[in-house]
Amino acid sequence: MTTSPLVEPLPVTGIQPFTKEPIRYIGEDGLPVRPLPTAYTPERLRELHSVMLRAREFDRKLITLLRQGRTTFYAQSSGMEATQVGLAHSVRPGHDWVWPYYRDHTLALALGVPMFELISQVLGSNSDPSRGRQMPHHFAARKQNFVSISSSIANQVPPATGTAMAQKYLGTDEITICTFGDGATSEGDWHAGMNMAGAMAAPCLFVCENNQWAISTNLRGQTASENIHIKAKAYGMPGFYVDGNDLVAVMEVCTHAAEWVRAGNGPALVECLTYRVGSHSNADADAEKHYRTREEVQEWLGRDPVVRVEKLLEHLGHPIGSEERANMISAVHREVDEQVIRAEATGQPDWRIMFEDVYADMPGHLREEAAMLRAEQEGGSK
Amino acid sequence: MTATQERKVEAAPAESRTINLITAVTEALHEEMERDSRVVLFGQDVGARGGVFMATAGLQATFGKERVFDTPLSEAAIVGAAVGMAVRGLRPVAEIQFADYMGPGFDQIISQAAKLRYRSGGQYTAPMVIRTPSGGGVKGGHHHSQSPESYYTHTPGLKVVMPSTPYDAKGLLKAAIRGEDPVIFFEPKRLYRASKGEVPGHDYTVKIGEAAIRREGTDLSLIGYGGVMPDLERAADALGAEGVSVEVIDLRSLVPWDKELVLSSVQKTGRAVLVSEAPRISNFMGEVAYSIQAEAFDSLLAPVGQVAGFDIPYPYVQDKIYLPGPNRITAACVQALNY
Ligand SMILES: Cc1ncc(C[n+]2csc(CCOP(=O)(O)OP(=O)(O)O)c2C)c(N)n1
Repeated sequence: MTTSPLVEPLPVTGIQPFTKEPIRYIGEDGLPVRPLPTAYTPERLRELHSVMLRAREFDRKLITLLRQGRTTFYAQSSGMEATQVGLAHSVRPGHDWVWPYYRDHTLALALGVPMFELISQVLGSNSDPSRGRQMPHHFAARKQNFVSISSSIANQVPPATGTAMAQKYLGTDEITICTFGDGATSEGDWHAGMNMAGAMAAPCLFVCENNQWAISTNLRGQTASENIHIKAKAYGMPGFYVDGNDLVAVMEVCTHAAEWVRAGNGPALVECLTYRVGSHSNADADAEKHYRTREEVQEWLGRDPVVRVEKLLEHLGHPIGSEERANMISAVHREVDEQVIRAEATGQPDWRIMFEDVYADMPGHLREEAAMLRAEQEGGSK
Repeated sequence: MTATQERKVEAAPAESRTINLITAVTEALHEEMERDSRVVLFGQDVGARGGVFMATAGLQATFGKERVFDTPLSEAAIVGAAVGMAVRGLRPVAEIQFADYMGPGFDQIISQAAKLRYRSGGQYTAPMVIRTPSGGGVKGGHHHSQSPESYYTHTPGLKVVMPSTPYDAKGLLKAAIRGEDPVIFFEPKRLYRASKGEVPGHDYTVKIGEAAIRREGTDLSLIGYGGVMPDLERAADALGAEGVSVEVIDLRSLVPWDKELVLSSVQKTGRAVLVSEAPRISNFMGEVAYSIQAEAFDSLLAPVGQVAGFDIPYPYVQDKIYLPGPNRITAACVQALNY
């Protein structure tokens, strides 16, 4: 179980903003297309691979949970592991701040948010740190400075800018990381937040997890812009374009951009070009039937970021054996099963807590409403 | 999107059918698009996907991508564009995926759509419809469960409608599309498939601003709208079994609302209980209660009762308990009856 920070940030050089093509280190065949930074030892890559595989299998198990009706919502991030694990690499958990979006549980796992907490949140159980308030999968993790998720698209962008402005004001060496999908970049909130961050030179790293679909709308339907990262130019910050299925490239570029932000240069935007392999959520399990082709999905399955790292390790002479891999997978499945049982055993939050946390102190009208509900509940009616 | 001529549809064989609420919405859209080429339909995922609830399923295939299209993910752009299209002579029907997501389009709704006619002295108008699923009961957490209608009833210039039956959904949506004003059309999502009922085979509209008496009674007026209506019926059944004669009224539209019908009902029964699932503070029903006490005070045998949602963000785990179900409604009625 990963509960500690992933790695120390690496010093990087030679990474350019506004490239025509996404920056890449590992080709689709797993062979390096340019020299690998020496810090990425096979041991280190294996460690990161295990985080990716863990997130992948977590997804798989949670979809099963959903199908069993034990939860009501889940948004997969299968196919986006390199983007989120690579990004996590540039974040100092519990030090930097993260304003994530709802598809970021792989990022959360990579930052050391305990699986138990994530599962508790998905189940809305008593052990959910968010107290069963939010819909499944919308977690907050105070210890990792992982701020509570709103499902209103792009809603987190202006506050992320604010957090970064506060960091600047307070003179800390923290930065803020703000993630979002490609669809989010159409919302006014996105533009407002980006513009403010630029104008205020706020230390915020914006990361677009461009998985190319916003439910049924693809990038072309979303914007006539050539891509997302060039929009950074309009807001006066560098925009980096990276192959989001290439773990090494994401780590390098995000680390570079984060260092740049940390150095007091203002915000930066990284666009990770990746793909959402599964459906948007349980509400559109029929994606292929309605809006995208099987061929497209197959093509991207061929660019699987987890497999790519496995091929690289093989190339480096440190292959992950099939038995080893199978053991890793069953270990994750066991872990999920155990945590589900553990979380379910804590029961569901009591109705009484409904009225708490609305305000710091409960005002009279809420005390009245709570009393009314108590009478109703204890009076035996349902 | 060129021809602007209205075309009369041949009256369909006047055979009524039983359909659900969401099918009624789809049929209304289909028939209005067929009738009037100025009607265009757009929003997030409404095209190939047919909307997250499938309300627009098949319409792009029938009417083409020029008239039924997906937009970028921006409610401000969707609502604002609808205003501009309406000004230029189209009849835009925009879908906002969930009422909870009208927020980013709020300023366009209240500053543009609602005020254009007034501020231009009638030179410009924005006849348009914003359809959106609203309300709770589907375990959606607060981002997929809220009832924001009061924000909009508070804005002069907007009409605000919320049907609870397929008949009303179809007739009111058609009226909204044919009307000359911006209409916020809330669709109670938990009734999309749960509410079934007959609709006529022929073309019809339901006038915006008229309430419906769902059942007649003499002891108490039980008044609601939208997702809570089946619970009003259940409460009325329960009370009926105890010999209490309850009149059930569905407001159907909130702005304008049918004050006359409500007042005459309360004058007959002497008691009123108002039900909605939105939080109580600044709840639209506060306006109804005010009117009843101001204009039917002499008839009242008990204070006006109100059943509402709690004044908290809509919770996930306690989804069902949050909603004013039949028991809470019945209890409020009993209180009014025993006053
Ligand atoms: C303001 C707002 N409008 C609409 C929605 C409904 N919705 C949920 S997810 C989504 C697509 C988001 O796409 P993107 O930003 O690309 O992220 P992805 O899910 O693809 O990772 C939409 C339209 C929403 N959550 N918020």
